[in-house]
Amino acid sequence: MDNFSSQIGLYLQGTLVTLSIFAITLIISLPLGFIVTLMLNSKNKLISSFADAVVYVIRGTPLLLQLLFVYFGFPLIPVIGKYLTFSRFVSACIAFAINYACYFGEIFRGGLLSIDKGQWEASKVLGLTRFETLTKVIIPQMIRVCLPSISNETITLVKDTALVSIIGVAEILHYSEAAVNREGTPLPFLVAAAVYLIINFFVTVVFKRLEKNYEQ
Amino acid sequence: MSSKIIEVTDLKKRFDDNTVLKNISFDVEKGDVVSVIGSSGSGKSTLLRCLIDLEKSDGGTISIEGKKLIDNGRYAPPKSVRSIISKMGMVFQHFNLFPHLSVKDNLLLAPKQRKLKSEPELEEEARQILEKVGLLEKIEAMPSQLSGGEKQRVAIARALMMHPDIILFDEPTSALDPELTGEVLNVIEALAKEKMTMIIVTHEMGFAKHVSSKVLFMDDGIILEEGSPKEIFESPKEKRTSEFLSSIIR
Ligand SMILES: Nc1ncnc2c1ncn2[C@@H]1O[C@H](COP(=O)(O)OP(=O)(O)O)[C@@H](O)[C@H]1O
Ligand SMILES: [Mg+2]
Repeated sequence: MDNFSSQIGLYLQGTLVTLSIFAITLIISLPLGFIVTLMLNSKNKLISSFADAVVYVIRGTPLLLQLLFVYFGFPLIPVIGKYLTFSRFVSACIAFAINYACYFGEIFRGGLLSIDKGQWEASKVLGLTRFETLTKVIIPQMIRVCLPSISNETITLVKDTALVSIIGVAEILHYSEAAVNREGTPLPFLVAAAVYLIINFFVTVVFKRLEKNYEQ
Repeated sequence: MSSKIIEVTDLKKRFDDNTVLKNISFDVEKGDVVSVIGSSGSGKSTLLRCLIDLEKSDGGTISIEGKKLIDNGRYAPPKSVRSIISKMGMVFQHFNLFPHLSVKDNLLLAPKQRKLKSEPELEEEARQILEKVGLLEKIEAMPSQLSGGEKQRVAIARALMMHPDIILFDEPTSALDPELTGEVLNVIEALAKEKMTMIIVTHEMGFAKHVSSKVLFMDDGIILEEGSPKEIFESPKEKRTSEFLSSIIR
């Protein structure tokens, strides 16, 4: 076990990277997902078809492929490729943010559809603007409806961060795999497993709280 | 200017090829309580919804307090439309309270956004209006904790917070258990006594007879007959009107 204590710093560093990808993805993809929803619902056919197509492609192909595409594929695109060359970490964040924004966009769209049109009508006859209606009436109700699905997606996101090891981002699984190879014991995998479980424990607690807050 | 608070001339509305309002004309004096009766599908809700711009009319003129919402098929610019409909409130069959907000916040949301008064003044006003509809003790309750009758009274209170000159009611008691309709009708009757101008779509014939100054009978997209409650309920001229009235049990 001394080996383990000497490695603790590496595990922590890996955990930090895992948490960063998780947090950055969430912070970008939630608002971006809302924009996706607005685009999907846009009256402008061009915008809504574009959003439909993007969501279809992103949801219909593996996240792993998207990750590889951003890191290895983008730089090879003629002409603009040189502007689309990103570090491993940034590539991972881009692929994840886009992917999750599409999933969240679909979830929010479902939430939006579940809200009775009477809420828009009541708001209008009370003199609320469309923006006020959206922010004060519709979105708070949408969040309540969507929370369970967002919670599920967030737990999946924690686990999906493991995929980034494929492009060499040094997150927790990367370090534990290296340790397994080096030391010939499966224990480092259990360390990684424990890290994911602990993160998801906290994610679950936070969402339970939120769901309680939004109960009516 | 005429004393008419609402004037509707040749109003037309269709949904695709279904013509729902066929040249509707009527007017309302300040302080009138107009009941709109008629069988389901005759266009009563659509008429109210056109007045308050929840549906776009396809032709005709609607004038509210002398200002034209739509003039011979041409709508006023959006800003004027907003200002014209802000003179009216509406109460819906299914209440449409904001389920995520307390009774108090349901009342305060819109007047706060419009900055009608300072927040403490608005809160005080909310209390007074809730007192008036008999629900002051429910001020902190969530809508889900209220009975249907209470929800509808909150919806009326919420409309009153905006100081409308006219309130439109679309079957305000149709979604209620029969024993809860009275509490809502009493509130509406109290408003009638205060000379609030109201248009009420209702199937409560006893109530309509008792509070209205005028009754409109709608049939298949037209106002087939119009008159005082006495005329309509006691000696209807049209056969369809008497058929409708006898089909309604109460
Ligand atoms: N949004 C809509 N789209 C299509 N048809 C509608 C819509 N709203 C109402 N209608 C039709 O308009 C007619 C009148 O409806 P409505 O005004 O609701 O009648 P009432 O309130 O008298 O029962 C009905 O035939 C109804 O099916
Ligand atoms: Mg109706």
